[in-house]
Parts: sequence; C-alpha cells; structure tokens
Amino acid sequence: MSITYLEAIREAQAKLLRDDDRVFIYGQDVGGTFGGAFKATKGLAKEFPGRVLNTPISEDAIVGTAIGAAIQGMRPIIEMQFADFSSLALNQILNNVGTHYWRTNVPVPITVRLPSGGTKGSGPFHSQSMESIYAHYPGLIVMTPATVEDAYTMLIEAVAIDDPVIYCEHKYLYYHLKADKLPDKGLPTGRARVAREGRDLTIVSYSAMMQESLAAADELAREGFETEVVDLRSVKPLDIDTVLASVARTGRLLCVGESFPWGGTTAEVIARVASAGFHLLDAGPQRLNAKDTPIPYHPNLWSVHRPNAKNITAKARALLRE
Amino acid sequence: MPQLGESIAEATVVDIKVKPGDVVADDQEIIDVETNKAVMGVTTPCKGKIDRITVQLKETYPVGAVLGYVEASEEDAARFARRAPPPPQREVAEEIPARADEEVAPAREKKIAARDGEGERAGGLPVPAITKGATFMSPRVRARMAELQLTTADLAGIMGTGAGNRVTIKDLENFLHKIDNQTAHEASAIRAGVADAMRRSWTRPLSTIGSSVNLDPVLQDRQSRGPKPGPGLYALRALALALVENPGAAAKLIGNRVVQSNSIDIGIAVEAEDGIMVPVIRAADKTSLADLTTKYKELVDLARQRRISPDMQAGGIATVSNFGTFGMEWGTPIPLPDQTLLLGLGVGKKVPSWDESEKEFAPKTEAQITLSFDHRSIDGGGAGRLLKRVIELLENPKEL
Repeated sequence: MSITYLEAIREAQAKLLRDDDRVFIYGQDVGGTFGGAFKATKGLAKEFPGRVLNTPISEDAIVGTAIGAAIQGMRPIIEMQFADFSSLALNQILNNVGTHYWRTNVPVPITVRLPSGGTKGSGPFHSQSMESIYAHYPGLIVMTPATVEDAYTMLIEAVAIDDPVIYCEHKYLYYHLKADKLPDKGLPTGRARVAREGRDLTIVSYSAMMQESLAAADELAREGFETEVVDLRSVKPLDIDTVLASVARTGRLLCVGESFPWGGTTAEVIARVASAGFHLLDAGPQRLNAKDTPIPYHPNLWSVHRPNAKNITAKARALLRE
Repeated sequence: MPQLGESIAEATVVDIKVKPGDVVADDQEIIDVETNKAVMGVTTPCKGKIDRITVQLKETYPVGAVLGYVEASEEDAARFARRAPPPPQREVAEEIPARADEEVAPAREKKIAARDGEGERAGGLPVPAITKGATFMSPRVRARMAELQLTTADLAGIMGTGAGNRVTIKDLENFLHKIDNQTAHEASAIRAGVADAMRRSWTRPLSTIGSSVNLDPVLQDRQSRGPKPGPGLYALRALALALVENPGAAAKLIGNRVVQSNSIDIGIAVEAEDGIMVPVIRAADKTSLADLTTKYKELVDLARQRRISPDMQAGGIATVSNFGTFGMEWGTPIPLPDQTLLLGLGVGKKVPSWDESEKEFAPKTEAQITLSFDHRSIDGGGAGRLLKRVIELLENPKEL
C-alpha cells in the first residue's frame, strides 16, 4: 500500500470525523461531491452527512463562524482554498482567535488548514507560504509537516489540542510524497526531528524545503560532506534545543525556508542560534529563502525563485568553504 | 587542478603533453604544473580521448580549476566519480551554473584585480579581497581554545583550511588529535608561568640594541672587594645608578599614560629547574655593591630551591640577564611583560685592542652588553643613551 501526503490529510480528517462528534469541516467547496480544490475532503461529505459544509466565498466569515462554534465546544477544521487567501481573514485569526484565550480564559480550538507553497505555474496569489506571518503573532500554534507521516499525525494532534492551530500543508508535497503506511503516533508538537545525521553542516528546514534539503544533503554526500538535516515540524513552538544540539555537532548552520526572506522563520532560527549558541558556530550562520519579489508564474522563473536542491547545495558548499 | 600539497593554492602550467584527439590511459601524466615547491605532473582521471584542454601555458590556476576534458565511456566516468572528486574551489553563481565552456580566469589576473580594488565590492566600494584574515578565530574555535586553555600562540603550527586560511574548528580538532598520538607530558608550573609571561610580553614591539664594554676595570675592582661581586651585579648596580639619573627610561606605557615607579627595584634572572626565576632587589640604587652581593647569594639559594615567592619576583622596573654565564656573547632577551627594559651581559673575551699612546695592540677583556626595550615607551636614542651611561659606569667601577 502506498499513501500520498494529500491522502494522509484526508485520512486524518476521516479519522477525526469518525472518532469525535465535535469535529466538522468548513470551507469553500469542501462539501458535496466536489471535495475541495485539491480533493482533500473528497468523499467525506457523503460519509459524514451534515459535517462537511460548504461556505460562502468569505474567509472572514468562515473563521468568524468557526470561532463561535469552537467557543461553544466544537472542533472545527477550516480549509482555506489557498494559504494566500487567508490574508482576508487576518483580523479574525490574529485579533480574535490569537487573543481570545488571554482575554476570556476560554480557548478557541480551531484548526485552519492552509494549502501552502509553490507549484509550477501557480503565480503570485496561489503559491505563498504564510507560516512566518502567523508565527509572529502570539496565541497560535503553527505546524509545517514535511512528511506523509507528520501530515497525518500532526493534523490529528492539531484538532486535539485546545490552542488554535495554523496547519500549513504543502501543495507540492500533495502528490509527490508517498509513504507505505500511516503511523499511530508521531513526535509531540513542538519537537523537531533530526531527519538525517551528519557532522559537517546543519541544515534546518521544514515543509517542502526539508525534502529539498535532504536531496541537497545527498548531493553533498557525493562530495564527501556529511550534512545533518533538522526538520522543525512546527515553526511555533520552535524547538531550538534540537537545533542547538545539532549545531554543537557540526559548527555550521544553513536555514532554508520557502517564504520571503525579510524576517521570518529562518531569521528567527538564526537569531536564536546566534544568541544562545554563538560559541558553537565555526562560520557565520546562513539562510536561504525565496527571492524578495512576488512569486513568478513562468516555470523557469519560479524554479530559481524558491530554494531548491541545487541552490541549497551551492549555498551549503560556499558555507562549507568558509 | 588537483590539490598538490597541504599549502598549495595554485599552480602554473609549464607543459601540455597532449592535444585534442589523443588517446590517453588512466592516470597518465598529461600536464606539468609548477608550484613554489616543485614541478608536478597532472594525471588523467580515467582513460579516454582528450576532448580539449582549457588552460594556457605559463598561466596560473587555482586548485579545483578545470584544466581540460577527457571523453570517456560511461563506465570509466562512473568509476572516476566514485573516487569522490574534491569539491570545486571556485565560486559558482548560486542558481545559474557556469557554462561548461566558460574558462576559469587565471589566478594571477584575479590577484591583480584584487590589488587594484576591482575585486569584490560592497555598496559599490572596493573591499580587500580577503576580509577575514588568517588571524580570524570563529566563536567556536575561541570557545574550544578557552576550554582547553590554549592561546593563539599554541595554534601557530596549524595550517588553516578555511577562508583566508583561517583555522576552522576541524583544523583545530585534527591538530589536537595529532598531538594525542605523540608523547607528551604536562608542563611544570614554572614552565607554564614563563611561557605565559613571554607570550604576554611578545604582544609588544620589542627591540634590542647592543655595544661592547671593557670588563677589565670590573674584573680588577672585584679583586679588591669582599665578598666578590660577579659582573652581573656590577651591571645591575650600574643600571640602578643610570636610572636614578634618568628614571623616565624605565617608565611603562599603559593606554595613553606613562607610568613611572617611585623605587628603583631591579630583578635579576636566575636559572632554575625547567624555567627562570627573577628575584627583585629592592631600591638597588640605595644598596651598596657589598650588600647586593650578600642579598644576591641568598636569593640564588632560594631560587635554586624554588622557594622564591611571587612577591619576591614582583614589582621590578627592569631586569638584568647575565647570559654570559652560559658562554654566550650576544642575545636578544625579552623584557618581562610588566617591564620596559632588560639589560643583557655577554661573556667576557680577551681581544686585541689598539693602544694609541703605546702604538701597539694590547689585550683587553671585552663583553657585549645589550638593552632590550619596549619601543612603545622608549626609542633607540633614549635606550642608547641609557646603555652608554651603564657602560661608562662599568668602566669606572669605583663609583659603583
């Protein structure tokens, strides 16, 4: 049996609907026979009548409604059609969801699924990565699964915990990533994973860039360098201890993220390593992000706009020569 | 261009023995290159046919540069690839790979460009080609050094492999690993103490001047004294009296302040087991040569038993080293780190000396006398005048 990243997300939702009456799915075209823009909810409306609901085309209203349901004890899963569109619901997510528990002592256990990141020819409005925006604000957990197994267990975990969760699923991994079977249990939320061990360089990454980093590590291994790849899994909470332990082993850090370069997750990792682990560094910590321009349509432009195995390898090589 | 030796960064092509189309064997020498050490042959990576040679005679290329291409069967090429080729040393553009037919700029041209400020630019302004010099120590290397109580001087033997030849943590660990495989014992406390003092002193611009002194008057004078002082003590006394006349000569420079001691306390170097001790004679200007001799004997006895306390070695403003006792004529001793001056005295030797009144050569006992000084505090002229005065006093020992 082989299961894709996308199927793992559908399986997780089916399991959640099956096991917990409080769970319902809410989003544009998720119900009926359509099953969502990427078919992440295909067949679920039929299997769970009345619990997979279509909404008007208003992200603001979708999140607002879900907040009310969550306060009343439900566990809504919201699907944004594209992560990019969640900017229309920023007020609800950042100002209402993020602050609610601190203001009222009442948790808002909603899960917002963001189909994130670039795929070939998707252009500026259907390719963005929003994890750093949401991680910047207090009160939200931001998950960025990089594997089929994590896509499954982390979504189940996202619904189980009382804090609101922004679940960033990567569209490029939907069909490209496959696993043999789904696990019963994953690592706890907030724990990073050493995806590959090495002693020459640490690459810290998450989501699709973790897979690109693993490919870069393969390339570097052919040149005799042993690269350690750390998969953050969730960018918030950020497991800086695992990162520091890895840098202590290698002395060199490259942080790779698909979102825009200004500020963000890679900058946060480097800031924390520089503060807490200055004495561990044998070379200036480096990072690689998408370019600081809107994401291009043309596949050739897109392929050099974001980090990929090739330019991660080049960046790593330069760092290894420092 | 293969790595031709540990410290070789580039080499010059001096002979190309093949031309495109030539059939070559595996490991065949095809290009001769010259480094500053030797001429060496570059060999083919695998057997095949020479496709083209991309370098030119008499040009210099960095290690890692492409010299040419060999057309080979996939099988042979795969075998070569398994032998883990070195990582390319040349900067490639991040996303746009260099075109295969693009030639590597000769290293010499790059050097000239860097010198003329046409190399790297930051904000449109030229920057030196290497902004991280060999002395750059990463935080990690520093932390490891602190952990092992190593100093920069201890790392002098490491050939750095990082950017600008800096020592990386790997270089340091490899070096330590090598040492682990050699016989070693822990340095004695006195050895470690001397090492530390010399290292600290060596951070300053030190200089040494010297002249000859006629020792006969001293040797004659000491016969009439009891107890008999050694020439080193005469030198110490002469230095003390010269410093009374010119106390500024021994002043220390700390920041922008000139610090001068109120008391002419002078140390004398005594060899002890595995190191040197420098007991200090307080107010040497107010201590007669006879008292100095008694005092010195006591101090030497204590030093030999290593019973000189740190207090007894502290606070001197200058030191005398009588390296003549080892039979040495000349030396450039290093002043103690908290002192500006060190007076050294060589061994006395009989030399012919022209006697103008008798119009003949006469035997004379001559020794070389040196003054090492911290050039931040005092210059050649000042040091020279002080040494001249010491010599005058030594040649008129009755005044001592």
